[in-house]
Amino acid sequence: MQEGRALTPTEINRDLLNSIMETPRWFWPVVGFLATIVLAAAITIGIMIDRGLGITGLNRPIVWGFFITNFVFWIGISHAGVMLSAILRLAKAEWRRPATRAAEVLTIFSLMTAMIMPIIHTGRPWRILYWAFPYDFARGIWPNIRTPLVWDPSAILTYLTSSTLFVLIALVPDFAVLRDRYADKVANSEHPSSTDQIFHAAYRFLALGWEGNPRQWKLQIIAGVLLSALILPVFVSVHSIVSWDFGMAVAVKSWHSTIFAPYFVVGAVHSGVSAVAFVMIILRHIYGWQDYIRHEHIDALGRLLVVVATGWFYFFVMEVIFGIYGREADEIAVRDFQFYQWPMSGWTIVFVVTTYFIPVALWLTRWARRNLWIMSAACISVNIGMWLERYIIIVPGLANRSLFSFTWASYVPSPAEALIVGATFAFVTMLMLLFSRVFPLVPLYDIKEGEFLRTEVQVGRRTVPATFRED
Amino acid sequence: MSSHSEPAHYPADMWVLPDKGQVTRDVAEKAQSSSRALRLVTLAAEALAVLAVVGFVMRWVTDGFGNYSAWGYYVAVFSFIFLVTSSAPLFAVAFRITKNHWRRPVSRIAELFALCGVLNVILYIPLIYILPPISNPNFGPDSHGELVIRRSIWMEVPFGAPHLWNFLGIVCLAVAALALLWLSALPDMAEARHTATGFRGALYRKLAGHWYGTKRQWHRQKVSLAYLGGLYFMMLIFVQFLIVSDFAMSLIPGWKDSILPPLYTVTGFQSAISLTLIIAFILRRRGGYSNYIGLSPFWSASKVQLGLTLLWTYHLFAFFITMWYGRLETEQNLIRYLIFESYTGIFWANVILIFFLPFFMLIWNPLRKSDWGPTLAGLSILCGNLLFQLRMFVAAFNAGDIYALGMTSVPPPVFPDLWDVFMVVGGVGMAALVFLAAARLFPLISVWEVKEGAMYQDKRPLFRGEYLVLAKPE
Repeated sequence: MQEGRALTPTEINRDLLNSIMETPRWFWPVVGFLATIVLAAAITIGIMIDRGLGITGLNRPIVWGFFITNFVFWIGISHAGVMLSAILRLAKAEWRRPATRAAEVLTIFSLMTAMIMPIIHTGRPWRILYWAFPYDFARGIWPNIRTPLVWDPSAILTYLTSSTLFVLIALVPDFAVLRDRYADKVANSEHPSSTDQIFHAAYRFLALGWEGNPRQWKLQIIAGVLLSALILPVFVSVHSIVSWDFGMAVAVKSWHSTIFAPYFVVGAVHSGVSAVAFVMIILRHIYGWQDYIRHEHIDALGRLLVVVATGWFYFFVMEVIFGIYGREADEIAVRDFQFYQWPMSGWTIVFVVTTYFIPVALWLTRWARRNLWIMSAACISVNIGMWLERYIIIVPGLANRSLFSFTWASYVPSPAEALIVGATFAFVTMLMLLFSRVFPLVPLYDIKEGEFLRTEVQVGRRTVPATFRED
Repeated sequence: MSSHSEPAHYPADMWVLPDKGQVTRDVAEKAQSSSRALRLVTLAAEALAVLAVVGFVMRWVTDGFGNYSAWGYYVAVFSFIFLVTSSAPLFAVAFRITKNHWRRPVSRIAELFALCGVLNVILYIPLIYILPPISNPNFGPDSHGELVIRRSIWMEVPFGAPHLWNFLGIVCLAVAALALLWLSALPDMAEARHTATGFRGALYRKLAGHWYGTKRQWHRQKVSLAYLGGLYFMMLIFVQFLIVSDFAMSLIPGWKDSILPPLYTVTGFQSAISLTLIIAFILRRRGGYSNYIGLSPFWSASKVQLGLTLLWTYHLFAFFITMWYGRLETEQNLIRYLIFESYTGIFWANVILIFFLPFFMLIWNPLRKSDWGPTLAGLSILCGNLLFQLRMFVAAFNAGDIYALGMTSVPPPVFPDLWDVFMVVGGVGMAALVFLAAARLFPLISVWEVKEGAMYQDKRPLFRGEYLVLAKPE
């Protein structure tokens, strides 16, 4: 039998637009709190720009630390959107419907956050202009196209543009619903507020004259499918290019590995999908969307995560085995640092256990996949582990003790770095909340379509959930 | 008799089985019948198998097992057969776990390759003598750099490594594949045990045991299939990692490539889908199974195939770009050897057949949405896979010391002699012969899965059309 009750289009509109039409009492205090953290981080960044990177724990040779770790982490989270939205749309997975919008929006906000990290890391952000863009034609000075400072912005900006387009295309029918809602509100009110009028005008502009006729639906569906297919290479390229920031650096032992690109991509999908599952559980709770984000959806995400996590673990094992395989003294030294020297060995254990063993052991059982508390804990566990993974890749490689002892150093992140990194989480959460205030975080039209297509088939004495297949 | 309805308003096909008992009889009759074409194909496969034996014996007589570089082509064809046939059951396992209805009529085709596991074990036995030990004297005193002993995934060289452990891996994989086939064919054998005669009847009665199709037995069969499938998947990836590491990478000094095992595995998955679709195409077009094998297995599998094709290219590119950009001399030598100089022709043919041709066939909708497109793409992929194996293993067995710094020219390619051609062509024929024998023993269609699929589908009106409804049980 189908899980959850059947929903009418009117109910769907009412329930899923409640985040926009009503403001919960907790909303602005929470946003204010998050904004305070972000402001504190912004002030810290200002101080850092004034005084220099000396206020961080970065030193020579460990020139990449918390900021770059966080950059790679957020790029990873951004992979949830395409994985859930584009791939599952192409695969016609029915359970994707309530998860797609949140995943796509998380992609955009995490990409924006990721882009900020290298800019902060430079210490002198304005210099990025000199490094990444041609700035002095007269003297024939050109940026070095072989630097990650050119690769990464190109890939990330392409991904950001296409993801934004992807979200906008999918939002058009929902904009039209909002436009009509506000039109009614303005028309039925004797003295409509200026806010309502502004919202009405904005949604009318964004809805692009959507009337929901067959031709518009056809175009919208074609655009969605085409964008899903076209965004896939961009999705793969982004984290591959980020991985090659490391993989191409032959001087840093343990980084020069051919597997880095797929290893990073699968890891990104692992952390991204876990983050989306967590976001969905939170949304279900705070907006009362129990009829839309059901246990079956979280269950399906859990099953998907078992496969993704195991794929990631396979790549991790390959990376470690072939790291040792060469039996080169420098590489062995890095691995020794990662696996046997305290405290890095402790972090490595935490990383492997939290990324794979704890969550997968939980996800293998149906009751755990359907227990929202356990799922939340497992998803947070994955992301703690995945953050540590990036840290363990970056720092030990750079900290490798080389020939000259004057470069021997260890890395201890400063409070400033910790605050800035922590604030990025507050920043993304705040943006998600603000987005939910003006746009629906669960796609209305997708849910309605799913409701039309879902049915049941009688097999013997059992009623089995079924769906109409259009092709 | 069953039939496929293909109404104009939706392309997906469904099974309509008015008389479900007839399906078993129909499939059994087809398995027992022997057309002239089938007899000819069997004869050709037998002839090729004889050629393989001749080639093997002549190679042994002329070179012995001591000169391992003479056996590159043998290892390549072993790897090809092993990779394709051991990956094939995964086609059934993976799509059964993901509850894809379209896999039902073709899953048995994939599972029948389990019998080739026995062939893999037999073909592996000479390799125990051919593969040099890890402390290989050939890489000893004259070696450059760090090659005092050969690099190996076995590190501290435990007892029997790598020969014994690889052999055990291949044996375990073959046993697991056979267990999968038995579990999957159990209901069909139980149903046919009373009607089948002769050897088949005796075999079915023996293998079907006490299966009566009780609710408890069905539950246990499905749970066992899922667990065994998961185990098989993990074992397969592990054994493939062993084979490609020990027989390819380890023999080329300086080659440290963590992406090679995943690339090898992806090639296996691609080939498994290709082989299954090619056989499904033949059965649909020539075998009289068109009532069971519709178009949906071709369309649906072709999407997965397209994804795997892109994945293969992505892995290859990740290998290439990391080594090429790194500019380390050893890696440059390796790229020159495997890609740019010695094996450049075979490399490009490999890329064209595994990537370009299938990619353009599968993104072109008119071709993809026929049974021809995925089949032709599959054929291209299988040929490309064979070239991939030849490039990897022949090159690995004849690499010499390309680790040497300042090397001006990399070792030349090794072309096959007559015995190599016999072994390669005959090896493929041998695998085909095993499959043909398996197809004579077991029904080529998983009857219980098709019947089950028919229960989970319906045709219902929705607005102005009538559409297929598919149920997905928990």
